[in-house]
Amino acid sequence: MINYRTIAVIKRELKEKLLSKGFIIMTIMLPLLMFGFIGLQTFLMTFDGGERQKIEIITESEELGKKLETELKDYEFIKDSSVVSSFITMDSGALTSYLEIRNDDLISESLSGIMFIPDSALVNKKIYYYSKAPKSIRMLDRFNGPINKVLVETYFSTRDIPPEELQFARMNVDITKFKISEEEGIKEEGFGNLVLAYLFTFLLYISLLMMGSMMMQSVIQEKTNRIVEVLLSSVTSRELLAGKIIGSTITGVLQMLIWLSPVIMLISTTWFALPEELTLDVTGGQILYLLINFLIGLATYLGLFGTIGSIFDSPQDAQSGMWPIMMLIIIPFFISMSMIENPSNPIAGISSMLPFASIIVMPAKMTLVDVPLWQFLVSIVVNLATLILIFPVAGKIYRVGLLWTGKKPKWSEVIKWIKYKY
Amino acid sequence: MIALEVKNLRKTFGNLVAVDDASFEVPEGSIFGLLGRNGAGKTTTIRMIMNIYLPESGEVIYKGIQSGPEFNSKVGYLPEERGLYKKMKVIDTLNFFAEVKGKTGRTVAKKAKEYLERFELADRANSKIEDLSKGNQQKVQFIATILHDPEILILDELFSGLDPINTNLLKEIILEMKEKGKVILFSTHIMDFAEKMCDHIAIIDKGKIKLNGSMRDIKKKYSQGNVSLNYEGDISFLSGHPLVEQISDYGNTTGIKLKNADESQDLLKLLVERGINVKRFDANDISLQEIFIDTVGKEKNNGGAL
Repeated sequence: MINYRTIAVIKRELKEKLLSKGFIIMTIMLPLLMFGFIGLQTFLMTFDGGERQKIEIITESEELGKKLETELKDYEFIKDSSVVSSFITMDSGALTSYLEIRNDDLISESLSGIMFIPDSALVNKKIYYYSKAPKSIRMLDRFNGPINKVLVETYFSTRDIPPEELQFARMNVDITKFKISEEEGIKEEGFGNLVLAYLFTFLLYISLLMMGSMMMQSVIQEKTNRIVEVLLSSVTSRELLAGKIIGSTITGVLQMLIWLSPVIMLISTTWFALPEELTLDVTGGQILYLLINFLIGLATYLGLFGTIGSIFDSPQDAQSGMWPIMMLIIIPFFISMSMIENPSNPIAGISSMLPFASIIVMPAKMTLVDVPLWQFLVSIVVNLATLILIFPVAGKIYRVGLLWTGKKPKWSEVIKWIKYKY
Repeated sequence: MIALEVKNLRKTFGNLVAVDDASFEVPEGSIFGLLGRNGAGKTTTIRMIMNIYLPESGEVIYKGIQSGPEFNSKVGYLPEERGLYKKMKVIDTLNFFAEVKGKTGRTVAKKAKEYLERFELADRANSKIEDLSKGNQQKVQFIATILHDPEILILDELFSGLDPINTNLLKEIILEMKEKGKVILFSTHIMDFAEKMCDHIAIIDKGKIKLNGSMRDIKKKYSQGNVSLNYEGDISFLSGHPLVEQISDYGNTTGIKLKNADESQDLLKLLVERGINVKRFDANDISLQEIFIDTVGKEKNNGGAL
């Protein structure tokens, strides 16, 4: 199947894709965009609208209010006055009428919220927050710590407890994370690998979607520009499909290699020192595995996208046909994301060795847990088998589809094509 | 000697029999016309010759080779549905189409340059296809078809959408190729071109080959007792006249079938006596158009018999 005709097609594909402005721009822009999005997301989450938030803290006992005021002084959000707090002492009985007075201010958001800390909080730690947006996680997060601290201190100050013990009670649990692996024994784990898991998942996901839809467009274009019959008089449909897949796969893998080159440099050289917490625990062999598995997977997906392209006459029609294959990329993406939350997720464990899914899931998995060698081999064999099984079927549909014009075919018809002697 | 042999090809699409038991032979060094109306089965036949469609039965043999990739590499094929990569440069396009036929290197580059000059496209070699006019795109397409120096040219509806100047240029090159001993097979529904260029034809209708052989033999057979006439005046008196068997109006000419082949002089005399202004009177001659219409029958919208 690989002969001078296929090679000519591969060369043309490479010339069109690899040397195109689009490729160069995408290769450079994607990492920037990714960091841009992460940055934007962080920015949006921390964005206060630039204006100060005013909050009134009402306590039943003046002493509690004073303590809280003193405690809050050291907090960054009070210091930079992104939150301005004022303290009032009031009985719980007066609160209802006070809330009525302040109602308009709360509605107009000139006052962000009123927090009421009754004396009973010293027994049950129940406090009340009145606001137009009472679910503001940020706001509550900010006050949760200091209020708790003041309540705890006040509570224990009346009891005769040594300061060391109080200190102990105040402390949060500090978990130091260790990763147990076969080769290296017990090792302290930073969150460098968490970053890697995200990075691999996103890059694989985006690349598959991008290369796939490019392949589909390219097939549709050949069909609608009527190039296809000229081509088919020189190359067989299988040679054409193989040539296009190989050309795009080379492009995609090369792009992935460029994207991963910072990671490869970080793990293979000592030129850049990362803080200990961010140390990347991934081997060159694993990166190689990622590329090989990606190569096989990309070729398979490209075959599917190319086939979908051949069935339809226009990108609009193809959109609907593309969905099943998109799901084969999107679902593994979400499995991979869920695994980042919980690496021992059994669905992720199984899907890391299933066809299609393993391409995205396994690379994330290998950064989070110790994956035995046999699992890598299984996923490669499974993906290779999928490619070998799918290619002839895809080639059959592709051949019929390319010369199919007119009415949009039904799926049942497409399945019949497989049996056609065309 | 027979170069290309088409044997008993058959192809159906669902219930439609597109080509039914089609056989014909294309002799070496000939220009062969596959003639038929739109939808007669020309393109399907040619696609089977090119192995783009697999025939349900029958085979295509070129000098002992079955149709397939090896045969295809010897063919310059211009399909009816044709196109080029819009974003590719002219020169890259030409190189690519030569390369898929297994031809690369300096000879191809030299040839490409020659052809571009001949087609007055030399200065557009580095232009993108999409920046060329439609006519120029057609020229590039044609160069791409012949650049790899094919042994056999297969041209499906070659002249559709070409202006007269390009048509002449193409004719010129096709005749040159014939002189070089190449085989040329083209399909058309325009009988004028076929008449001027082909030395062998096959007429296909509703998937069946109705007639095939050398133009000379076919004409000889059909021209007996036929008069091809151009005139001014009213010849309605001829219908039912004892000399005449049938009168057919072919548009440009009128064909008169005589009852007796020797009586063409009597017909001419009769026409002159009746004051008909005879512009052309070819006895024992018949145009391909006439043969074609006689063979496949008239289409209803052409007015029917006179």
